[in-house]
Amino acid sequence: MDDSDEALMALVAKGDQAAYRKLAGRHLPAMLGLARRILGNAADAEEVVQEAMLRVWTHAPRWRPLARFRTWLTRVVVNLCLDRKRRAPWVALEAAGEIVDPTPGATEISEAGERERLVASAIEGLPARQRTAIVLTYGEGLSNVQVAEILGTTVSAVETLLVRGKQNLRRALGALIDED
Amino acid sequence: MSNAWIQAFLDRHGADPARWPGRERPAAERLITGDRTARAAFEAARRLDATLTRGARIAADNSAAVERIMAKLSGPLPPQRMPLWRLPAVLLDWQFAPAWPRMAALACCAVLGFAIGLSGVDRHIDGQSLTAQQMDLASAVFEPEPLLAGRRP
Repeated sequence: MDDSDEALMALVAKGDQAAYRKLAGRHLPAMLGLARRILGNAADAEEVVQEAMLRVWTHAPRWRPLARFRTWLTRVVVNLCLDRKRRAPWVALEAAGEIVDPTPGATEISEAGERERLVASAIEGLPARQRTAIVLTYGEGLSNVQVAEILGTTVSAVETLLVRGKQNLRRALGALIDED
Repeated sequence: MSNAWIQAFLDRHGADPARWPGRERPAAERLITGDRTARAAFEAARRLDATLTRGARIAADNSAAVERIMAKLSGPLPPQRMPLWRLPAVLLDWQFAPAWPRMAALACCAVLGFAIGLSGVDRHIDGQSLTAQQMDLASAVFEPEPLLAGRRP
């Protein structure tokens, strides 16, 4: 039996919930990691990825295999992340609940080390689209063409984002880059 | 090709030659091997790439979040949105099986109606009553109202 994303998506389009859960389980960890790196916030990342996975279900009958499923899903997650960063709503203090610490948690620090944490913080400090381009290029290993497809823009626009992002990171990281 | 060009090129495409566009790669490689400043820019770009790759790939433990989302997706899901091009197929796919006695009755009525119409049974109506009906109809339509004609009732 064909177990590819596209074959599962064809089953999801017919309302197959088991195929949908298999597809979700396959991509959830990577999409959570991506959303977390773009948003810098675990709680927001969880909400965004849940919304993205629900869109996979509701839009499955309309989905056409023009691009790889993974590329399409990444695009949905990235767009939802950028929308969320753009809106950044104000909420009442009572409704805000626990304040989420934007810095990585203790587990992440122990896993990554201080140096990587500083680099991650510098990436987090970039404007949203520059950060997204850097995360997709270096975190996901995508080409400029694939990044352009996901961001819904031109390759030259992605290259401009990368150039500006790297200029900002060089300024922010300084000597940290030369320690290698 | 200047050093400013190679710096911009490395920022656009990174320091991995496998990712460089084929059209510009020979010029970039020539500059890097032949020019000390360009070579230094290439080495600096390689260090930046390594730093960014490590920084952008910090793996956080997402297993709890994955479980929470999977639990939510295991509940009742919202209805799927059907594409418009499937609408004709949906209409053609209607199941008439539960309504077949009513469909059969409707078909019998239609056949009976055609049979009556073709045999002319409906034309054998009493000629007198037909004339009376026609006259009544004409008086109702063409006789003017007394008030409109200016006469007292």
